Amino acid sequence: MCSRVAERPEGRPLPEGASARESSFDTRVGLRVFSATACHLLSRDLEAPSPEGTQGSRPSSALCRADVAQQFQFAVRVIGSNFAPTVERDEFLVAEKIKKELIRQRREADAALFSELHRKLHSQGVLKNKWSILYLLLNLSEDPRRQANKVSNYATLFAQALPRDAHSTPYYYARPQTLPLNYQDRGTQAVQSSGSLGSSGISSISMCALGGPAPPPQPLLPGQSHQTLGVGDCLRQQLGSRLAWTLTANQPSSQTPPSKGTPNAVSRSMTRSRREGETGGAVEITEAALVRDILYVFQGIDGKNIKMSNTENCYKVEGKANLSKSLRDTAVRLAELGWLHNKIRKYTDQRSLDRSFGLVGQSFCAALHQELKEYYRLLSVLHSQLQLEDDQGVNLGLESSLTLRRLLVWTYDPKIRLKTLAALVDHCQGRKGGELASAVHAYTRTGDPYMRSLVQHILSLVSHPVLSFLYRWIYDGELEDTYHEFFVASDPTVKTDRLWHDKYTLRKSMIPSFMTMDQSRKVLLIGKSINFLHQVCHDQTPTTKMIAVTKSAEPPQDAADLFTDLENAFQGKIDAAYFETSKYLLDVLNKKYSLLDHMQAMRRYLLLGQGDFIRHLMDLLKPELVRPATTLYQHNLTGILETAVRATNAQFDSPEILRRLDVRLLEVSPGDTGWDVFSLDYHVDGPIATVFTRECMSHYLRVFNFLWRAKRMEYILTDIRKGHMCNAKLLRNMPELSGVLHQCHILASEMVHFIHQMQYYITFEVLECSWDELWNRVQQAQDLDHIIAAHEAFLDTITSRCLLDSGSRVLLNQLRAVFDQIIELQNAQDAIYRAALEELQRRLQFEEKKKQHEIEGQWGVTAAEEEEENRRIREFQESIPKMCSQLQILTHFYQGIVQQFLVLLTTSSDESLRFLSFRLDFNEHYKAREPRLRVSLGTRGRRSAHM
Amino acid sequence: MASGRGSWASVLVAANLNAVRETMDVLFEISRILNTCLDMETLSICVRLYEQGINPKALSSGIKELRKVTEALKALKM
Repeated sequence: MCSRVAERPEGRPLPEGASARESSFDTRVGLRVFSATACHLLSRDLEAPSPEGTQGSRPSSALCRADVAQQFQFAVRVIGSNFAPTVERDEFLVAEKIKKELIRQRREADAALFSELHRKLHSQGVLKNKWSILYLLLNLSEDPRRQANKVSNYATLFAQALPRDAHSTPYYYARPQTLPLNYQDRGTQAVQSSGSLGSSGISSISMCALGGPAPPPQPLLPGQSHQTLGVGDCLRQQLGSRLAWTLTANQPSSQTPPSKGTPNAVSRSMTRSRREGETGGAVEITEAALVRDILYVFQGIDGKNIKMSNTENCYKVEGKANLSKSLRDTAVRLAELGWLHNKIRKYTDQRSLDRSFGLVGQSFCAALHQELKEYYRLLSVLHSQLQLEDDQGVNLGLESSLTLRRLLVWTYDPKIRLKTLAALVDHCQGRKGGELASAVHAYTRTGDPYMRSLVQHILSLVSHPVLSFLYRWIYDGELEDTYHEFFVASDPTVKTDRLWHDKYTLRKSMIPSFMTMDQSRKVLLIGKSINFLHQVCHDQTPTTKMIAVTKSAEPPQDAADLFTDLENAFQGKIDAAYFETSKYLLDVLNKKYSLLDHMQAMRRYLLLGQGDFIRHLMDLLKPELVRPATTLYQHNLTGILETAVRATNAQFDSPEILRRLDVRLLEVSPGDTGWDVFSLDYHVDGPIATVFTRECMSHYLRVFNFLWRAKRMEYILTDIRKGHMCNAKLLRNMPELSGVLHQCHILASEMVHFIHQMQYYITFEVLECSWDELWNRVQQAQDLDHIIAAHEAFLDTITSRCLLDSGSRVLLNQLRAVFDQIIELQNAQDAIYRAALEELQRRLQFEEKKKQHEIEGQWGVTAAEEEEENRRIREFQESIPKMCSQLQILTHFYQGIVQQFLVLLTTSSDESLRFLSFRLDFNEHYKAREPRLRVSLGTRGRRSAHM
Repeated sequence: MASGRGSWASVLVAANLNAVRETMDVLFEISRILNTCLDMETLSICVRLYEQGINPKALSSGIKELRKVTEALKALKM
């Protein structure tokens, strides 16, 4: 090659930067075309003036032809030569330069015109190498003022044309800071220039050296090059950021790749085609072709030799291609990248069209796209490297060219990334919303910090919509979840009265795995409370006021922190919002809607806590209620209720509560008396109804009926007792009755004992205990749900203890039977008393009549009258044994029922019921009579002793 | 890529001659603004060279060199 330099016609040096090597483009074609240009130029310039010239110019023109030939030769050489560190290929930059140049020449109008033309040119897109023609035009442009000494400016012109600033051209692009102008040496050592070229282009080519086969370290290290290559350094930083995708962040050393070794002149000058020739015969697929194919495969496009095999779902090198095994293996390994890319691409393509995929899904797709974009950037870099090699052909030499092995190394990290993404895509298939976030979150639990940071990045993007839902929900109570992705679901069909219970539910599957169940429950509660306040309580206080403290620290951008700092910030935020909102809600309910007052009113009226009122009501109602149920009218009863309220301490209750108190008649079945259908009612509406739901009220109703019945028994027994007291004196002079009355008293006392114990049990063991528990829990409640739960627990307890639940139906039946016996006794005793009193009356009348007759001086009694009187007395006395036996039967039945009841009580699982049995049978009266009781008590005693 | 280049020529020949002409007009206008002293023919040759992928710097320096020489020759002739 040096000899060629020596052959130059005039020994003229080649223009700067030109190394005498064959150009990459098809030399023959190029030369042919160029010769046309050169001829054209020369002939026009030389001979155009000649027509006017004299004939004498001909010999000189002949001389010129020789010159022309020489010039042409030279020009061809120049053209063929290569300015290795070519100028940047940025069309835009060149255009800018032209504009600057024009402006510098004070031709602003032309500059404007130029930009218009450039735009037009750009829009047409016929030309492929627009930048180069612009570059040519720029180079050939002449400032009219600077016509002279442009030859001497030659070098500066070139230096000028070369870029000094870093910009967006591919990073490995060879870009010298200064052209290596070696005027002295150039004549003999043109090759040297290419060597120094290489060193000046270090910063850029170095990347290629990464995969190079152990290059000897160059003395010019990045650190040293700081002063000399200031711009190169900044360029390298840019490179660094570019490379960040391919090279992990945890390897800072590789971000500033080691400098490339001094290029071996021989190997550098070795042409690509020669190298390919070495690897195989002409028929074989060259490695270069494979590299090109691979680059296409990377993007999921089939190459010439590497094609997607649909049957096996993988990329394969065409079977008949003649390839060495190692190349084939490497190519297949590289092709995996394409497969992975296809997989991810397919997923995002499918999903991005699917509107119902939701925001979380969209952001997942966006995250994937982002990663793919980075991947494409890498590909474009590789492509332009390849393109450059194609354009320049030989000049880049062996070390810097793309080989499969190099690709393998460079794509190592991207492959890991794509693999992770593909695995993620697989895992997330068919999931959406919070479920998808959970799926991604599962992948952050890897030990590989590189993968973890990648997945965490994706997770932060994916969970962003979830978080914004969440913040929207807990701070504004708004649910903007069109695609059902959030873990709080709203049922729009639910009316406001069931808002708290039914409207909002947790979608279990959508709870992201980075949230605990407790947290999500709180989140649900917060939003529910806000909505409850707004819709049910009509409380329009802005939420900012409710939770003024926490709102300030809201920004939902801190999505990424969330996962690192789950314990403190996020939990704290939710907790704070939860406490504030719930507290506010309870305050509103207590103050504005006096929830607790209503609860107490329930207890006083429906659970018969207000004794004087109930007693008085019963007194007033008694004449009404003994009538058949069908003859009762609600308005009459309501009037009586009001009278009772006015007459007792109930009148001091707030009108708000009394207004709600009402009478309710249950469904009438034939034969019912008023006692069976009467019940008190308490109206609840608005927010209060959330606690006192319909079910709760029906519970209350059942409990009331039970208590009312028990109360009535007590009332009846009191009446019986009263009868005893009143009639005892009157009937004292009817000694034949004393046995009956005695029996009556005994039975009544037995019943009184029973009912008293029952009442004691109900009042103290059931109601008071449960109430105390409820009251404590309500006082400590943190949110409305706690209150509701406590209240329900309270109701459950009293229903089951009052034997109203399904488990104690048998017991309740026995109890009902006892109550029936009491009523029976009342009837029996009433009959006895009626008969006795009638008899007494008659006797008294008889005596009186006798006395009056005596006063009148007649016979006291006639025989007939006496006869009649004795007959009547005899009849009455004869009825006494009947009464006795009736009472005996009654007693017998009653005791049997009580014994049965006791047996059931002792076998009951509820401890308090067993204690009730002790209380009822405190002196073991029934135990002595009932063998079963003895047995069961005995076994229980044994069991407890055993325990 | 090679095939792409080949097809480009065929496209150029086959279709949108109009667009090509327009492009050339635009380029010529630019070249006029920039005082390059290139005529249409030279310009079109250059464009073709570039589309072949010639090194732009080499071509421009070649043209310059030739111009210099012709100028020198002209001077000599005069």
